[in-house]
Amino acid sequence: MSEVIATNQTILVVGGGISGLTAALEAAECGKQVILLEKSPSVGGRVGQLHKYFPKLCVPSCGLEIQYRRLKANKNVRLLTMAEVTQISGDAGNFTVNVKVSPRYVNENCTACGECGKAVSAEFDDEFNYGMKKRKGAYLVSHMAYPQRFVIDPRIVAGDDGAKAKEACKYGAVELDMQEQNLNLNVGAVVWATGWKPYDAAKIQPYGYDRYDNVISNVEFERMLDPFGPTGGKIVRPSDGHAPKNIAFIQCAGSRDQNHLKHCSRICCMATLKQTTYVKDQLGDNCKSTVYYIDIRAIDRIDDFHRKVKEDANVTFVKSKVANITGGENGNVILNGVDTEGYNRYRTEHDLVVLATGMESTVPAGVFPAGININEHNFIELDGDSGIYGAGCSSDALDVNRAAQNATAAALRAIQVVTRVAGQEG
Amino acid sequence: MADMKIGAYICQGCGIGDRVDTAQLASVAKREGKAAVAKEHEFLCNAEGVKMIQDDIANEGVNHVVIAACSRRAKTEAFSFDGVCISRANLREGVIWVRPDTDEARETTQEMADDYVRMACAETKYQKMPEASGEQGLTRHLLIVGGGISGMTAALEAAKTGYKVDLVEKTGQLGGVAGEMYKKYPAKAPYNVLADNTTGEMIAAIEGNGNITVHLNTSVTKTEGAPGRFTVSLATESGATKDVTVGAIIQATGFTAYDLNKLPELGGGKSPDVMDQLAFEKMVKANGGAIKKADGSDAKNVVFVQCAGQRSEQPGHLPYCSGHCCMTSIKQARYVKEAGGDATVIFDDLRTPGADGEDVYRGGQEAGVAFSKGKVNSVEAAGKGLKVNYNDKILAEDTNIDADIVVLATGMVPNSGPNPYVKLDLEMAEKDGNEELAAKLKAEVEKAPPSILNLMYRQGTDVPHLKHGFTDSHFICFPYETRRTGIYTAGPVRRPMDAHQAIEDATGATLKAIQACENAAIGRAAHPRSGDLSFPSFRKEGCTQCKRCTVECPFGAINEDEKGYPQYNEARCRRCGTCMGACPVRVISFENYSVETVGQQLKAVDMPDEFSEKPRLLVLACENDAYPALDMAGMTRQEYSAYARIIPVRCLGSVNTIWITDALNSGYDGVMLMGCQKGDNYQCHFVKGSEIAHIRMSKIDDTLTQLNLEKERVQTYEVSIADIQRIPQIINDMEKLIGEIGMSPFKF
Amino acid sequence: MSDMNQAMVEKYRSSFLKEVEANVEEGHWVKMCMQCGVCSGSCPLGPHWEHPPQEIFMMIRAGKREDVLSSSSMWMCTSCYNCIARCPRGLPITHIMHGLANYSKRLGLQPKNQPTAKFSQLFWNNLTKTGRVNELKLGLSLYFMNGIGPGIKTALKMQDVGLGMLKTGRLNPLEILGGHSIKDKSGLQKMLKKAFEIEEAKIAEYKG
Repeated sequence: MSEVIATNQTILVVGGGISGLTAALEAAECGKQVILLEKSPSVGGRVGQLHKYFPKLCVPSCGLEIQYRRLKANKNVRLLTMAEVTQISGDAGNFTVNVKVSPRYVNENCTACGECGKAVSAEFDDEFNYGMKKRKGAYLVSHMAYPQRFVIDPRIVAGDDGAKAKEACKYGAVELDMQEQNLNLNVGAVVWATGWKPYDAAKIQPYGYDRYDNVISNVEFERMLDPFGPTGGKIVRPSDGHAPKNIAFIQCAGSRDQNHLKHCSRICCMATLKQTTYVKDQLGDNCKSTVYYIDIRAIDRIDDFHRKVKEDANVTFVKSKVANITGGENGNVILNGVDTEGYNRYRTEHDLVVLATGMESTVPAGVFPAGININEHNFIELDGDSGIYGAGCSSDALDVNRAAQNATAAALRAIQVVTRVAGQEG
Repeated sequence: MADMKIGAYICQGCGIGDRVDTAQLASVAKREGKAAVAKEHEFLCNAEGVKMIQDDIANEGVNHVVIAACSRRAKTEAFSFDGVCISRANLREGVIWVRPDTDEARETTQEMADDYVRMACAETKYQKMPEASGEQGLTRHLLIVGGGISGMTAALEAAKTGYKVDLVEKTGQLGGVAGEMYKKYPAKAPYNVLADNTTGEMIAAIEGNGNITVHLNTSVTKTEGAPGRFTVSLATESGATKDVTVGAIIQATGFTAYDLNKLPELGGGKSPDVMDQLAFEKMVKANGGAIKKADGSDAKNVVFVQCAGQRSEQPGHLPYCSGHCCMTSIKQARYVKEAGGDATVIFDDLRTPGADGEDVYRGGQEAGVAFSKGKVNSVEAAGKGLKVNYNDKILAEDTNIDADIVVLATGMVPNSGPNPYVKLDLEMAEKDGNEELAAKLKAEVEKAPPSILNLMYRQGTDVPHLKHGFTDSHFICFPYETRRTGIYTAGPVRRPMDAHQAIEDATGATLKAIQACENAAIGRAAHPRSGDLSFPSFRKEGCTQCKRCTVECPFGAINEDEKGYPQYNEARCRRCGTCMGACPVRVISFENYSVETVGQQLKAVDMPDEFSEKPRLLVLACENDAYPALDMAGMTRQEYSAYARIIPVRCLGSVNTIWITDALNSGYDGVMLMGCQKGDNYQCHFVKGSEIAHIRMSKIDDTLTQLNLEKERVQTYEVSIADIQRIPQIINDMEKLIGEIGMSPFKF
Repeated sequence: MSDMNQAMVEKYRSSFLKEVEANVEEGHWVKMCMQCGVCSGSCPLGPHWEHPPQEIFMMIRAGKREDVLSSSSMWMCTSCYNCIARCPRGLPITHIMHGLANYSKRLGLQPKNQPTAKFSQLFWNNLTKTGRVNELKLGLSLYFMNGIGPGIKTALKMQDVGLGMLKTGRLNPLEILGGHSIKDKSGLQKMLKKAFEIEEAKIAEYKG
């Protein structure tokens, strides 16, 4: 790895999802020096794993492509993948950041030709597909991966597969003795954009996510629509691979619930409405969707999307937090609960259940200097002078549009710090 | 510039060397491509390969570089050389990865590779290095229109970044709606409490800031120029005028509350004790927290009716949700509770999203605000008070509740200027003789609000609307990318939002405005071709003043001079090339992207004769979506026809019909245009490019008829970047179609 | 309607919710319900409820005093705590149900012949007599709660269980003679009397 140059006029952006990319690029295109860190082997984050965005039903990789092109073209941004912040100390205008860079075992010579992937045999759960699919031990995260470089799973490094991968590479790109590196970066401001993770659905015990094959999460459902994903783009029941006929979407699966996440995750209502359109597009009249909800939060001008879905005769809405799920026949499950609009008790059989799992913040403990305020929902509170700014879902549960907006604002706050430093240093 | 010297570098890595004869490619580059230098390398993108190219640039005077290797999307950083034109022949994703590795396929695969080398040489031959236009100037100064919370935030944030600001407010004071608030939600957790209104402190901060000049009772009478050099005329009510020069503009003109007189069934306009949220807020503020009816008596029971005249398809109602109203009603209901009264919120869906939202909802409940899911049917007078009749959806019954005051949570109506495209569409409809549409548009023009920015733009005076009068961006990932470069809207004029979001929005808009100034100073393009230095120019002697470029530019970048010649404004231009595609006399070009750079590529392709059974399909693919999808087709080893020759274009809007005509005349059997989705849910990064291309292509039939060719030979498609399997299929279908209708007779 | 009841109605004419908040154990939680219905759905006795908890909360807010207080619903609660475990807002629903039942009984509005109410009274009487639960007597009084005929029937049905308990020493037949009691029986009864007086005083305050 070539030397990473950072000064107290550098902005550090942590997280290469849509928020981090936005913050880094917006700052860089204002002429500022930016270091962008990403924990995984590729930038793109959660949005790269989505099939479509609501309400336009457009493809997330379309926007990512533009972001990557901006990134490739901009020499002000230095991207480090497989890099994690372990500690930040100091004050606005003068932070010291400890970064741990994990070995990729593949250097910059990699052309993504794919020979190493062909040479190895062991398979592992594919993180990009939430473990619904297997991948090789030498792999490209996805065909939208950026940097477009393979990565070698640490589990094969010492074994035969590691040696095979190295042998297969004609370009000397496989470096099995690559070591973890620790960097100390001096930066002026930090934009923290590590995003969210889906709430662990297994923790909602009555829904049986870990007991019933046909109870899945909304992010998993999203992967099913990818033609290169685990089901080849087909909406199917995991138990038997058949197309479902009667899907239940359960809202607030882990959100708005003091037993799980106290906050509303904002996106899940719209995500479910969007997913009903996938069902409609692929299965038409052969599949019904039922949305179990507390409140449908299709806020502002995208409420028309909500109304459009409501007009679909194959989509039904039930105001109810589902009480529990029990097993039925043929892999079906039974949802038990009460429709609170008029007290109607139901016991409804569905052949697939999609849990609209909430957004859990990934803001870590023990990394930030004193004075950075992290609220009870684990989001970073805005303090204009702190020099460390949460962006996207590190600041609140946000949709993509608001995350990009918020990240743009965070970039300006960071710019203000480094501009001040530059002014002081003349 | 020194004489052109083309260096062609052919990579043998990633299997290219095994699959095609690279020596032949080098010879093609030399003989046909006129490359002075043509070198093969077994691993061109590694340090040694790159150094070889760098050395040739430094020592051999190579100034046009052809990289025949992988896609332009791969190894972009390695193959980035300053000061030279670069053209990429895509032999990996575009040839060997989409063709089977079989003996039968070898010949056609080689032909593909040969052609891509020819094309890259031809392209670079007609490219020049983009140079700055000379228009640049750095103006670290913003104009902010609107002195509410959004505008004030933008002003303070810009000043904090070292920018100067002229803040224009049409009324006599700053603060806007935020200034009218009795209390607000806190900016930080815990959110379930109410905080004091701090607008006064904000106003004081603005007034005390040396970088900010406030203009009260002022409006914008004229805005001319482009990012980096806007000249804005300001006029006060008293008639005094002043000109300011700014680099970028933020329009934060806010909203007006929906007229509650349009809701008589909910008591709107019938009783002074039926009011909207803003009126309620003012009343509580005026009374220092006491809740009083119009007659001055204390109000004990207040009922809040959510979604009043909004989220409704009824004529005259607002079809959207204003987003803030649930939160606002909860806040106001808490005023009532604090004053010792009772408050009930009747809602359909309680919309308090996010972390702060749910805290607010709980906070309202803790404070004793009653919530009832229901639909209000009417509000009527009852004795001295009011009665709200509603259907309680939980108890499934029609019921009523008495109230001293009823607050209708009506929606936000954006304070935007007139939508310029209504007027332009009207001109078009009148020209086309479409009377029905013209009448409709005319009515719309007549009730349009007065202009806010008074832009002296060919395409109208104000920022285009997206929907329902909001000036929002259509893009989910790029919320600020609107159609007037360097002019950003922020706050509720853009989409319905609360004060908290307006602050975030205005801060983001401030960055974009600052970025526009910084970019304009060095001639760099704004999103999505960020950093592009190329810029359209035209040959004046050839121009017929037809004005198509000025009309079709999706960004209103081009003005007309008094003689009707186009006036390009570099910093307004997004470099999509739609003007170039529009020009019937082909006088518009970019240094590195022109009618020639593409036209010569398609002509460079070796055209087998009619009896060869080797058709040629020209694919003009949008570089934003179609081309990456084709790359990924290669990466995932989808095969497509060896007869396709793909040329990436900046946008389908940049496609000039001469390319189609040239292609057909040169013997191509089919021409395929691949752009992004058009229409209401457009995905075209240049908004209108794809749509305009579709319109142009709908008129190509005449050309085909003249040439006596089948219409099916030219097809336009809407594709997305995810059509990794579909696009190869479309190409293969075209090959099949040509097999059916036969080869073109134009192969000479 | 009792005087006390009348007084309550007067005092809280405007809001049954306020009455519940003031007089029902954990009643101040009622306002926190967001009508998701997970309590109602989670209740194992759910189908037997005329008005499930979430609906009762809505009825309280809607001022349906008579309907709520005379409902048998709250008496259906078996204290399984499923609802409390599941409530996303942390409402102590079980306790609120018991509080409402208790309050309705204090007002004399509880449904007549409601078995849970009757059993509760039997249990209370049994316990307070000696300070100890006399299981034999409690069991018998439960069997004969609805008269001699059904009592004999139930006793016969349960005889195997009873004999088994006798054999294993889990039930002492001599308890029928009065049973054991705590040391200071009269002390306990004084205490309870005092507690009752305090409660009455509270109510008296509302009567005023």
